[in-house]
Amino acid sequence: MITKILYLLISILILLAPFYGQIHIDPYQLSTVKSIDFKLFWEIRLPRVIVAFFAGAILALGGVIFQSLFKNPMSTPYTLGVATGSTLGVAFAIVFGFHSLVALFGFLGALMTVVVLFTVTLRLKSYETNALLLVGIALAFFYNASLMILFSLSSESQSFEIIRFTMGSVDVVGLSKTLPIVTASTLLLFVTYWYRKDLKLLLTSNDYAYLKGVEVKKVNTILLVSVSIAVGVSVSLTGPIGFVGLITPHIIKKIYQKSAEQLIFPIFFYGGFFLVLSDFVARNIGSNSEIPIGIVTAFIGAPFFIYLIIGKR
Amino acid sequence: MLQLKNYNSSILKNINFQLKAEQNLIILGSNGAGKSTLARLLCGITPAPTLLNNQYLSKMNPTQRTKEINYIPPKLEIFDEYITLNEYLDLSRLYSLLEPNNLIKLLELEKLKGKPCQELSSGEQQLTMIATAILHNAKITIFDEPTANLDPKKSRDIFSLLKSNICQTKIIITHDLNLACHLGYDVMFMKEGKIDFFDSSEAFFTESNLDHYFGSSVKIIEEGNRSTITIKLTN
Repeated sequence: MITKILYLLISILILLAPFYGQIHIDPYQLSTVKSIDFKLFWEIRLPRVIVAFFAGAILALGGVIFQSLFKNPMSTPYTLGVATGSTLGVAFAIVFGFHSLVALFGFLGALMTVVVLFTVTLRLKSYETNALLLVGIALAFFYNASLMILFSLSSESQSFEIIRFTMGSVDVVGLSKTLPIVTASTLLLFVTYWYRKDLKLLLTSNDYAYLKGVEVKKVNTILLVSVSIAVGVSVSLTGPIGFVGLITPHIIKKIYQKSAEQLIFPIFFYGGFFLVLSDFVARNIGSNSEIPIGIVTAFIGAPFFIYLIIGKR
Repeated sequence: MLQLKNYNSSILKNINFQLKAEQNLIILGSNGAGKSTLARLLCGITPAPTLLNNQYLSKMNPTQRTKEINYIPPKLEIFDEYITLNEYLDLSRLYSLLEPNNLIKLLELEKLKGKPCQELSSGEQQLTMIATAILHNAKITIFDEPTANLDPKKSRDIFSLLKSNICQTKIIITHDLNLACHLGYDVMFMKEGKIDFFDSSEAFFTESNLDHYFGSSVKIIEEGNRSTITIKLTN
């Protein structure tokens, strides 16, 4: 009951978010098609809130799937280098003039990283989960070095574009631009629900799942590829936004005290809310220019997360 | 029939394993002899050319495979910190007609039903895993040291469970010679990755054989028509 009331309240908050910003929108003006309020709402504010919500949802759900499949509370698309791989793809597209294919390159970067990680996990023993994190860190170094090469090849305006991109932003213009991310996140949610029972078995151990008839390799592949598609789409649109994927699953699990596969929707929903909230702060706190959203998530997320870890003992 | 022919690896040497349908087996051997490694090959967790009724286990469809074989590891391994005992057992509810609640009562696990598996003691985890074997009810179940963490009373309960026909065919890896002797199954002894002995219980539990395999560390005590094996800590 309480959870339902919370869903309702937060949904209302999310729906109110587009009305507030440096220019407040008058709801009564929305019926007038030619008004500035109308344009501002439909073309700028609403797309922004939609992108924030679904990007947050993808990162959070992707986080819990990575944590479950790799059996490590620290592994997320972000910490394992998937988001960085995606960033590299996007930077590549910017520097070599494939502007229209930015999303595709972002996705390919993410997918490439997942292939590397997956090949590595197949060679690791089940107890070596930390080794995977080390691989993720090594990958991040490698990608950053590659990114530096791209910087040295790029023009000044391209460099600036890449830097703005890595700061993360949910700034999009036009409602139609939100379509890919809405589709990707809905698909990810659907696939995760579909494999919910296998996911529960995988949350115990791969051996147990295998003995109960789960095709471990197949299910792992399907879920990891789904996450990387969604993360690829999300990162190519918003840039790498950290922390949502790492902390949302942990916070939700602590509050609900249930196993991860029962929390698919709450993690999706509150991950989305977290980014909408961060974007709301980013838009409203500064007087002249807005702060990049990645900075806000880190500022809110990091202290809260540390508090949560210390509180555990 | 369960078969693994001419298998070699870094741990196992020249394994020729063959078990007839409905033949129960005890696997003995010192630490590091390769017992668990063999068990994981036989159930397919580690890929191997294991044959089950002349069909490769790796090529069987997963549902069919779950009907045929199950493995109970020595330790309960669980990643998610909130999965409860009840939920864990539910995941194993495959082919047994037994009501899970009756089984929980039988094993005295009622008070722990809603408790996360990670918070159970090692003995409680052991009982939980045995319960999953019973609920799963595969044709062959491999138990890897099922009584290692149990107190004497629980050990005895599990012994009578194993002795009853609550599970179908059983392969039991153990260090508990008493359990092995009293179950009366055929015995396989592994030594340094090789199968060193494979015969009936009577053939294995003789004074000279025990002397050969365990040195002077064990002793058979005859009590009427029953024999008990004790470990001698001092000479």
